[in-house]
Parts: sequence; structure tokens; C-alpha cells
Amino acid sequence: MAVITIDGVKLNVPDGANVLECALENGIYIPHLCHHKDLNPLGSCRMCVVEMEGQEGAVPSCTLKAEDGMVIRTKSEELKRLRMLALELLLAGHPEDCSTCPKYGNCELQMLIQYIGPKTGRLKMRVKGFKENSANPLIVHDMNRCVLCGRCVRACNELRGVKVLDYRKKGMETYVGTLHDKLLADADCRFCQACAEVCPTGTIRDKLASSEKKKEDYVLPCKAECPAHTEIPRYLRAVRDGDMDEAIAIIREKLPIPRILGYICTQACAKECKRNCLSDPMSIRLIKRYAADKDIEKKWRAKSKQLPDTGKKVCVVGAGPAGLTAAYYLRKQGHAVTIKEAMPTAGGTTAYGIPAYRLPRDIIAEEVKLIEEQGVQIECGTKVEKPAELLKDYDAVLMAVGGTVGVRLGMPGNDLPGVLLNADFLRNCALGKETGMGKHVIVLGGGNVAFDCARSAVRLGAESVHLACLEARDKMTADDEEIEQAQEEGIVVHPAQTFERITGEDHVTGVDFMKVKAFYFDENRRAVIEKEEGSELHIEGDTVIFATGQKPDLNEDSGFKLFRGAWIVVNDNTNDKQTSIPGIFAAGDCVYGTKSVVMAVQSGREAASQIDRYLGGDGDISEQLASGKTPDPWIGVIEGFAGEKAFQPQIDPAEERKDNFRLFDHGICDADICAEAGRCLQCDLRLQIHRPRTWGDYADTKEA
Amino acid sequence: MGAYAKAKELGREAVLEKIDSLGICETGVYREKMTDHLKAAEEAAAKEGEELCLVAALNNADTDCVFLELVKKDPEKIIEGCAIAAIAAGTEKAALVLPEKEEELAASLREKAAPYGVEVRNEFINIRRNACNALIHLAACADLADAFNDCYVPGIYVSVNGGELQKLPEEKKISELADLSEAKAVQVGYRYFTAEECEASLGQLYPANGMIRVLTQKDCIVDDTQKKLHQSRTQSCGKCVFCREGLIQLEFMQTEITAGRGKGEFADLTKEIGEAMCYSTPCSMGQQCAGIALSAMGKFPDEYEAHIKKKSCPAGVCKAFIRIYVDPSDCTGCGDCLDVCPKNCIEGKPKYIHMIDEIDCDRCGKCVEACEEECIHITTGKVPKLPDRLTKVGKFKKKRH
Repeated sequence: MAVITIDGVKLNVPDGANVLECALENGIYIPHLCHHKDLNPLGSCRMCVVEMEGQEGAVPSCTLKAEDGMVIRTKSEELKRLRMLALELLLAGHPEDCSTCPKYGNCELQMLIQYIGPKTGRLKMRVKGFKENSANPLIVHDMNRCVLCGRCVRACNELRGVKVLDYRKKGMETYVGTLHDKLLADADCRFCQACAEVCPTGTIRDKLASSEKKKEDYVLPCKAECPAHTEIPRYLRAVRDGDMDEAIAIIREKLPIPRILGYICTQACAKECKRNCLSDPMSIRLIKRYAADKDIEKKWRAKSKQLPDTGKKVCVVGAGPAGLTAAYYLRKQGHAVTIKEAMPTAGGTTAYGIPAYRLPRDIIAEEVKLIEEQGVQIECGTKVEKPAELLKDYDAVLMAVGGTVGVRLGMPGNDLPGVLLNADFLRNCALGKETGMGKHVIVLGGGNVAFDCARSAVRLGAESVHLACLEARDKMTADDEEIEQAQEEGIVVHPAQTFERITGEDHVTGVDFMKVKAFYFDENRRAVIEKEEGSELHIEGDTVIFATGQKPDLNEDSGFKLFRGAWIVVNDNTNDKQTSIPGIFAAGDCVYGTKSVVMAVQSGREAASQIDRYLGGDGDISEQLASGKTPDPWIGVIEGFAGEKAFQPQIDPAEERKDNFRLFDHGICDADICAEAGRCLQCDLRLQIHRPRTWGDYADTKEA
Repeated sequence: MGAYAKAKELGREAVLEKIDSLGICETGVYREKMTDHLKAAEEAAAKEGEELCLVAALNNADTDCVFLELVKKDPEKIIEGCAIAAIAAGTEKAALVLPEKEEELAASLREKAAPYGVEVRNEFINIRRNACNALIHLAACADLADAFNDCYVPGIYVSVNGGELQKLPEEKKISELADLSEAKAVQVGYRYFTAEECEASLGQLYPANGMIRVLTQKDCIVDDTQKKLHQSRTQSCGKCVFCREGLIQLEFMQTEITAGRGKGEFADLTKEIGEAMCYSTPCSMGQQCAGIALSAMGKFPDEYEAHIKKKSCPAGVCKAFIRIYVDPSDCTGCGDCLDVCPKNCIEGKPKYIHMIDEIDCDRCGKCVEACEEECIHITTGKVPKLPDRLTKVGKFKKKRH
């Protein structure tokens, strides 16, 4: 240890510690620019100069190492003059257009001007004449604004080990760039964006940065888009390192049914994955699936939270994703939880909506078993008719009944024999019951459920299956791979069609369609459909399946205040899920309509937290199951990284899969999984980088 | 037995002892006892736990590179000296680093250097990346090789007015090395000195880059300073604020002065920036290159006053202050000047007195050389009355009377 004195304040610091850091950590502000806490000191900007007793002249404090007995002054007229000169020199080559700079308000140089004072105007100003370079994905370079602090160069070389950026010289101007000004991708950039993170000015910028979003949200769009905010880059890194126990622990911190999600999640995360800008997005769902499938030992259980019994009783109505999730966390908070499920087994939509070829039933059973092992009681085959009465036996109730009734569109012929509803069809199919399907099936709808119906119909032996929807092909809500696989299985997809009428006298004989010319919402947010003249299309069929939405099996008799006669009204969709009946909460599809399984999981988590608080708990359902170790900021060089394509899952050919309900997607193989996870840009590493400290953080330090 | 073989046989301790006893110093900008110099580097490396490498190079600030003559003349000697220095520094890693533009020279040395374990590279020395290396000057390598060839003579390497590099005793007066009778100023190392100051010895004024150059009345100190600063700017790596931006400002002011746009406050500003550069930069480039401007403005105020206040260049070098005109009484209207003018700013036709458009003329002087009649003149003073329209040869004087 060394005792050093800065501005009369005695500090105990480690021998050889960075004097500037010592000052900043102890509430003493010294202006600085090229210095950054996470980077090696450089000492080029001379903004952090100080005077040291026993040494003539000013010395930069960032390269000064603490020695016992050092006496340092950070303020004097001479230092002020030198800092002013340093700032003026920096500004001589920096454009004078702060107000149009995207970094306005967040620029460290701008803040230094505020602290040190405006320049005197005695120096020659110049424009460097570089063009802004927007040719790279994710990162913009505007070398005109660069003050050559070298932070990006050090971040790229010394912190990350990627070695893409370096000082270059063109004519008489020094700038930062890639060798031979190659595109970042061609220079093997890893797009970690550490350069943009440490840049004090508007020179290297994140294209996705937005003042309207929280930083964490635009830095980590995958996590932001995931309704449950799963720590995606963290578990991808664990999988890359082959540490599946760590990976599943990270996943399980947010998702109690990870295997189910690993098979069927709609992965909003991947749609926003920044790798979309480079090559293929990360195969996030398949990586999750791999980690969850390999979770044999369940080591995370050792750290799993279970609070002592509170003596409170909760009843959850519905054993779908929302109900199971809420029950699981409520049990962990110490409450006695009973789930009442109308169907013969638990799983809800995952068991009676999603077909078995996408999600094998034993996986649902295993996930449910883990929840039961936590102490949750599940009573199947119990339909709750009068929810309000449950409050007699329970302290709180959660309605998580999902949307189990299909919606029949109002159109001629919609109740002819041969017209089926998605929910009934899929449920009967799952139960192995007679579905009422004929030989020629027409599915109306363009979402994932419509494809579940169409593909199930193929597997049940339909001779022809047509699928038509109002949306244009690129606006269809079903996943692309669903649509493509369906077409491989012989399903004919007709996008952008209006449903004119279902034809037939005493049984369905087909459907009349017309082509949609334009489909939009007018200023009153009413749907407007323009049809193409003479585009009449008739498709023959003996079965029509409506796959145009589902709603909860509820009516006014339930006692709840309902929205549009079916959906349960809660005080606030996110923050207060209590219904019009005090003590009864609601979560999942029965509140907000048909969304996704992961959305229901998050809704269940929120409900659990709120019910816990209602019952006197602290509402904190979070748990740390993973090691929580800090990842290595050094990511090194990987040749051709940016262009790396996604590793493909093994999928059975259409001929082998279309006549049975066996799982046909076998996921990414053992040999490829680590490499696939290794494609992740690790955007989260950027959040480890310390934010700059400016004079504003040191309340009363403004130089007079 | 070669010098390196001898040194190797002696071993590190004996080598250091010999270097010490001969009083061999690091040469170039950082002149100090070689053994101290190497020891300091060793300590720095040990403190950081880094492996020490011996790096022999020119000073970054050196734009004239006269010491390269040593390498060109006797490459083996420099390589051996470098390898001996590595022994003295206690490392097996040695590199000979030449300026970036000397790629051919470096290529020609590689084969010779390999047996000595000396790597040959071209780079501008990054002082931070070499913080844990022993940096020595190329000329010191020559001294070390001499020492183990038993032919070491103390002295300082200089090249006078572009002449051959020679090693002269420290005591030698600068005034004895060159004719200073016509001298306006003398460049010694990275600074200008007055002729009077050159009564001092080589050791006192110490030309760290080996340069001694006499500027006569025909040379303009402002112009010379501007050119030197420009060379430094071209060579500077541009990573440090004070070196990069300071040089730009210093050069700008000299350029302004040569262009007739000089301002009185430039002297103070040059002093403020120049002095700050000396201690605000980590390598010789920033530390030394401001010296040219500081010494020029500090020691030759008359020269600057003439440019800034009197708007004239005493040497007639700065083009902003000279005027070129065609003497109307001698011009034969031959058109030779017209053909060579790159700016097309000479008006005239056969048998008419040619006229130079002063606004477009950039005073390149090509017309002066082209005129066989020797009737185009350069002046720093007043221009006689000239015709204002095309006038027939021989008619101008008559008209005026």
C-alpha cells in the first residue's frame, strides 16, 4: 500500500496504482479524455496533467503510478493553461457542429469544453475531409470527428484482442481504420462494438443506438425482445464453451419450462439478433433446446430457491404455460399451490394445441414433473365453473385458462357441416379422437396455428390441403420455416386472399376467394381491404378449418369483468394482474389474447410475483442458478467471423415426416452446437465496459 | 575474430565493463552513458515483467537520416554493434529498425543480419509499445562495433552542409567546420544557432541528428523552418495530440508568415505551443521538432519582423514578397516566356511587349529562366512603371514621354 496526497487529501492506495483512477475513485475529478478505466493508459491527450511535488512541470496522471509519499496537485493556473491548450489543439481538428452531431449531449469532448471553457479562437481550424463511412453493418465511422484518443484502438487490440482497428495515415492526416481501409467484415471484425462503446465523441457510433430506448435494450435486442428477458448471450457463451450445466442454469433463471420452449418458441429474439445484419441470426431456440435436452443431472437444483411454507394457499386455474409458471414460482415463494386443469393432462396449449410432431408429449410430461416435484399439486380433469367460489378455500386464485375456443368468422356458409374450428380440431387430434375432417381440407388463416392445423391434416391423411390467408406472403405471422416445411409437405399456400363464402348446400363443397390488392388500416384503425377485380378463385374441399384466432372459454357467468365478452380485464396487463374480483388474478392468453408460449411464461412470472406480494411476500421471485462468473472480455481473432452461416438442424425429409406425428426436427448435432453458439456477437460484453466519468458526476468540482 | 564474436566470448559483464571503461554513450537525442541507458531499460522491463528486446534505430524526430550512411557504408558493422548491444543488455532479442521509407535498404540487410540474430524491420518507433525495450541509436551501434574491433575513438558524427558523415572530436568548434563568413544562421541538430553561437564546440551544441548546415543570406529562415516542420509532420505518426496538432499549428504559422499573412501574436503562440510540445510528448519527434520553430523565432526576430511587419523576405525566397515583371524596354516579344508559363498568366503576341498578370502569377520563376534576353526580373522591391495594355516593342518609352 502507498499513501498519496491528492489536493491535500490523503489516500491509501495500492502501490503502483494509476493515480488518475485513484483520484476519480475517491471523488476527486481530473479532466481526462484518452484515459478509460477498462483500457491501458496512453497519456496522449494531456488533459489529465497534474503537478507532483519534487518534479518540475506537469505530468499526465493516467500514466503516473502511485508511490508512497507522492504529493499531487490537480489544480493550478499552469495546469489550467496546459489543459486549455490541449483542448484547443484537440478542437483545432474537430468540426464545430455539436448541435448536429448524433452524440450531442453524450459527448465527452463536449463535456470537457463545458468544464475547461470555450476555446479562444486563436488556433487554425481545419476540416480533415474524411467521408462518413456507413458501409459497414452496425457501426458508423465518421473520422472527421475523431480526436485520436486511441480508445477504440486499445479496446479493439488490447481489451478484445480482435486487432482490426489501428492508427493509419492518409496524406498528412492520421485516422483510425482497418488495414487498407477494408470493410470491417473483411477485416475479421467481431462486431462486439467495444469501439463504439468507448469512443468519447461521435466518431464511431452504434447504428442501432437510440435515445428512445434504454441502452441495454438496443445493445442487447435479443434479450429486450424476449418477453422473459432471458440472458441469451450469456447462455450462448456457456454452450460455446461446452458448459451445458451453466447454460441451462442461466436459462432456468427466467424460464421454468425451457425444454418446451427449446422446441417451439417463436423466438422473437432471433428476429432482432444483430447477426441478421451480417449473415444468419443465431439459432437461439435450437441452442436452448440442446442445452435443455442435455440437462440430465439438473445441477441447477442445488441453487434453486425454496422459501419456507407461508401457510397461504393459491389455486391456479389452467395448467398451460402461464399457469404452470406461476404455480412453480408461487410454490418456491412458500405458498401451497394447486392447479386445476380441465383436460386429462397438464400442458395447456403446448399439449392440446401444438401438435406432437413439433413437441413430443414426453417432454411436456417431464417439465410438468419437475414442477410437481417442487411441490405443486395438479388436479387434472377438473373444470372450474365458478372461479369466485375458489376464494372460499384459497387465499388467492390465478386464472390462466388460455384461449381454448376457436373463432368462427362471420361469412356465408360458416356453420355448414364440414366447417371445423382450429382449437377443436387440434385438441381432438391431440387426444386421438375423431376430428370430423374429410379428404380435402381448406385452412383459413396464416399464423402458426393455421399451419399446425394444415400440417396435422396432412398427417391425418388428407388428400389435399390448401391454406389461405388475408395477409401477403411477407406479412404472414407464421414462422418462415413453418411455411416452407408445410409447402414441402404438399400444402398449397394462398396468401392475400379474402374469404368470400364457404360454398355448399348441406355440406362444405369449397371456398370462394378473391385476391387482395391492398390491405391496410385507415385513420380510424379499421381494416380496409381492396380486392382485385376478376380475381375470383374457388377451391374445392369438403372440410374448412377456421384458424383465425382463439378466445377464452368464458362468459359473463364467470363473474369477471370481460373485454369483448371473453377476455378477462385486469387492472394492468403488466403490473397489476388482479381482476374485477379481488383476490383473483389472471395471466396468459385469457388476458391479452393469443400470443406466444414464452409470453405466457413471462405473464405467469409477473402474476406469481404479484400474488406473492398480495399474500404478504416480497414478490421477489428471482434466483441465481448460474455461476455468475464474469465473461472474458478478450475474444480474439476468428477468420471470416462476420460471414459465418448458421449451422442447420437435422430435419427429416417431407416424405418421411408427412404421414406421422413423430418429431422430425432433430436439432443441431453435437458436433456443430458449440460452433453455432460461438457465432454469437456477445453484444453483452459491451455492457461490462464502464461508463465514462465526467465532471457532472463530481457535483462541486466545476473549475471557476 | 569479429567484434561480435569477441564480445560473445567475453560475456555480458566484461562487455559492460569495456563499454563503461571506454565511456561509450548512447548517441542521438538521448545522450547518456550507454551502460546507464541499458540498465534503465532492463529495470523498466523487469518491473513490468516483460521480456527485453534491444532495438537499434534512428530517433523518430530525425527527418534527414544522415546516419543511414553508416548503415549503407558498412552494414555488417552496424549489425554487429546491434548484436553486441543485445549482449550488453542481457537479451537475445535484437532488432535493427529503419525508417518506413527505407524498405529496400532493410531488405538488403536481412540476410546479413540473420546470423547475428538481428531482426531487420521498417517502422516508426512506437514509443509506448517499446516501453520495455532498450532503444539505442544506430550510431551507437557503430561505436560499439568499433569498441570490440579495438578501433573506438570518441567523437561526434556530423555531416556538414550535406557532406560526408565524419566523426569529429567533441572539442572541435563548429566555426572551424564550416565557412561562416556568409552565415545568417546555422542549423546544428534540431535547432538554429547564430554564427556567434557557433564559436561553441560540437559537444556543447551537440547535433543529435548529425546535421550541421549553414544558411546564408540567400536562405530564408522562415521558409526553411516551414519546410523542416513540414518534413516532421509528414514523418510524425500523429498519435499524440501535442505532436500532431502542435506541428500543424506551428507549420501553419510559418506558412502564413511566408505568404505575407503573418501576425505579431504568432511569436507568443509558437513559444507557448512549442514549449508545451517539448514536455507533452513521449518521443523525440514531439520533443525535438518544435525546436526548429522555437529557435528560429527566438533567435532571428529581424527575419520575422521583415516578413510580418515590412512584408518582405530579405533572402527573396518567399514568393509572396517577390514580384516578377517583364522589362518593357528590353522585351523583344519573342514569346518564349509565354510558352513556359504554367499558369498561362503572360499576355503578349509577336513583336509586342509581354505582360505578366500579377494576380494569377505564382512566382514560379520559369519565365525568368526561359527569357534569353534576360529581361524578366525578380524583385523584392518596387516594380518600375509597366505598360497597361499590349504595346508594340519599342513603343512603350515613347508613349510615356
